Amino acid sequence: MLKQISLGRYYPGTSLLHRLDPRAKILLSFFYMVIIFLVQEPLPMLLLGLTTLVLMLLSQVPMRHILGSLKPILFILIFAFVINLLTIKGDELLTVGPVTISEQGLETAVRMAIRLMLLIISTTLFLTLTTTPILVADAIEHLLNPLRRIGFPAHEMAMMMSIALRFVPTLLEETEKIMKAQSSRGADYDTGGLIAKARGLVSVLIPLFVSAFKRAEELAIAMEARCYRGGEGRTRLKVMRYTPMDIVFSCLLAAGCSAILLVQYL
Amino acid sequence: MQAFIDISKVHFSYRQSNQDPLLAVQDVSLQIASGSHVAILGRNGSGKSTLARLINALEQPSKGVVVVSGRNTAQEENVWEIRRLCGMVFQNPDNQIVGTTVEEDVAFGPENLGFPQPDIRRAVDESLAYVGLAEDAQKPPHLLSGGQKQKLAIAGILAMKPACLILDEATSMLDPVSRHDFMQLVQTLVHDQNMTVVNITHHMEEVLLADFVYVMFGGRVVTSGTPAEVFDQVSLVRREGLDVPDHTEITHTVARLLDGSLQPLEAASWDRARLAIIRLLDEANRRAAQTGWYPELPRKERPVPPDEAETVIAVNNLSYVYAPGTAMETRALDRISFDVRKGELLGIIGHSGSGKSTLIQHLNGLLRGHKGQVTVLGMDGSTNADIKKIRQRVGLLFQYPEHQLFEETVFQDIAFGPKRMGLDMAKIEPRVLKAARIVGLQDEELERSPFELSGGQKRRAAIAGVLAMEPEILILDEPAAGLDPAGRDEILDYAAQLRRMGVTVILVSHSMEDIARLADRVLVLRQGRVHAFGKTADVFSQEEELALAGLSLPRTTAFLKSLSDALPALDWHCFKPEEAALRIAAAGLNPAFCAERTV
Repeated sequence: MLKQISLGRYYPGTSLLHRLDPRAKILLSFFYMVIIFLVQEPLPMLLLGLTTLVLMLLSQVPMRHILGSLKPILFILIFAFVINLLTIKGDELLTVGPVTISEQGLETAVRMAIRLMLLIISTTLFLTLTTTPILVADAIEHLLNPLRRIGFPAHEMAMMMSIALRFVPTLLEETEKIMKAQSSRGADYDTGGLIAKARGLVSVLIPLFVSAFKRAEELAIAMEARCYRGGEGRTRLKVMRYTPMDIVFSCLLAAGCSAILLVQYL
Repeated sequence: MQAFIDISKVHFSYRQSNQDPLLAVQDVSLQIASGSHVAILGRNGSGKSTLARLINALEQPSKGVVVVSGRNTAQEENVWEIRRLCGMVFQNPDNQIVGTTVEEDVAFGPENLGFPQPDIRRAVDESLAYVGLAEDAQKPPHLLSGGQKQKLAIAGILAMKPACLILDEATSMLDPVSRHDFMQLVQTLVHDQNMTVVNITHHMEEVLLADFVYVMFGGRVVTSGTPAEVFDQVSLVRREGLDVPDHTEITHTVARLLDGSLQPLEAASWDRARLAIIRLLDEANRRAAQTGWYPELPRKERPVPPDEAETVIAVNNLSYVYAPGTAMETRALDRISFDVRKGELLGIIGHSGSGKSTLIQHLNGLLRGHKGQVTVLGMDGSTNADIKKIRQRVGLLFQYPEHQLFEETVFQDIAFGPKRMGLDMAKIEPRVLKAARIVGLQDEELERSPFELSGGQKRRAAIAGVLAMEPEILILDEPAAGLDPAGRDEILDYAAQLRRMGVTVILVSHSMEDIARLADRVLVLRQGRVHAFGKTADVFSQEEELALAGLSLPRTTAFLKSLSDALPALDWHCFKPEEAALRIAAAGLNPAFCAERTV
């Protein structure tokens, strides 16, 4: 059943990484991203890899689950690796027929592949695996709040994100129902050519959109009836507070990363 | 004493593009006292939901004044306080939940009102505990049942510390058990918290719980009074397309049949109705003894169910498990066996979660069992080979079928099925017209967009879409869900009409009344198993068996049974109020009965 699809790949838990403030996690993953791109040399890169491994262990999410997040980008990873490997000219390392692989090419390809992997692993670790989507939305609202003064609709954006998250399962369920109903009327979504399939989709998408609009309308009225009038003067059930743990962890990670950079530039 | 809600001479009209404004509420005046439970009863489109929105300041009257707790709803500065005071539960459980977890949804109102954080926490916990959802606080709301979702809506309102609860057809998408639970919660709120309740509904049973009822029709209040007073006006209430309690209706029909008369409120309560019937019979018999004239009773024949007809569907030992091997694994069907005979109307009844929906999806190949056989019209339903043929010959109409309309015109939508069957236009058109005629759609409606139709018309168009495929077997899953009594009766009439046309009909419902009235045989499901299966009269006479499945006797049957002590000749296995009245008259009209009573 579509109903059981969970959004994102949140892995419930109570590890240190789970308990960090989501705002801290967003900022840390940006910081980590920068570090990943600054690191060039093999030794610092190895150290950064080890740091990432420590983070993975800290999250208490099974390795298999973490590495699974690489699957969607596996193709890009291999593609970029091969392109870099074959196109970058330099000192010849190996020649097979018309194909020449250079020392620089191999180096760049490996470095890039490692960077991409570290990037994906660290962001999924911080943001998707240990933080629920709704907390990410909340944290983004908080972080963007200062921009409200220049007219940026931070609250509205976060509200839209959280309502979208709320309705994904409902709409998935509805899609399944509509498909079943149209199947009973002879619609066929599996066989037939591209055009037939596209036509079949129309019979699902139109009712789905109609119902989504109706839901939106009713939800708006229901929200108004519950005194919703935008972000002004609104309080929250869950107040985000940085704890000493957030500060200590952030400082440690920053110190570690700086040390790695130091190794590289000294 | 000043009323909590004071509506005086209110008019309201909706602006419509290209058309004259639609007058939804006309000259309505009513007062609702603090702590009272008031029902507003009316058909779809009677203006009752608009009235709710006027109270809640979601709309402002075009004429007249609405005052809530001393505050005029037309004044901008009062709006938020009025909405806090009067919480509103809407019809569709899904479309009023904002939060991604149960607890966050409850917090939504208090957050909007700017409660300090510790107060929100307390309000959320208390409200969830009150409605019985404390354990589900962290759940995502889509995993709740419909009934739980509506309780969640109440919790969200309670957290705002309201004084009044407005229910806008809040139970119309719930099954009878959840509806009962929900209304019990509402009753508790009235009694424990002195909550004012305004229940806008078309359910007669709910109205009986209220202290006072207003009946609306065409935007006006046509009558009002205590539930007993209102339902005593049987013909008026019936004319507005609404239900009256079965015992009241039966008693009034008996009075008509016997040419007797009833005192006001004599048929209002169950016990008084019984006494009234005995009195009416006594009088008729006495009159007959004096004059020799007996009231003539009309004869009604019930169509004889086809006993020896061939089997069109055979289900043997069918089991089905959802999401096997995961944490969500549920055994939806457990060794189900039954058969469907050609030309009969089979009722399938059971609670939500009893496996009804899962079962019917096996009958046209949408689901395949993990074990067991399904044979449909001689074809094997568990393989791929015959699926297309099976789906052409077995029509399946899901709940709320109007949600599946999509074509540009109603005609094209009805033609979708026949087209997919590969028929040419010359054959499709007569089928579409015939199907449209059965459900009572006019020719000019066929050329309109399905999305312009009213709710009831949309449902008819969707039903026509399945009928146009001219299935030999038609499965209807809760075809009357969400409709008002008149709409429900109309749809159920189609089912009976199709059965007379020779179509085998399978009707799925949680309403004992609907199934009892129409079905030749009944299959009772309970927790994925066959709990009872047999002729309608046989199944519905096993009161204890039914109670085990959480079902009770149909109301008419229960009332008849309670009369059988006084009327030994009465056969109480009967489900329609009219027929029940006839049986009472037939069983009670004889001198012997009269003699017995007078001794």
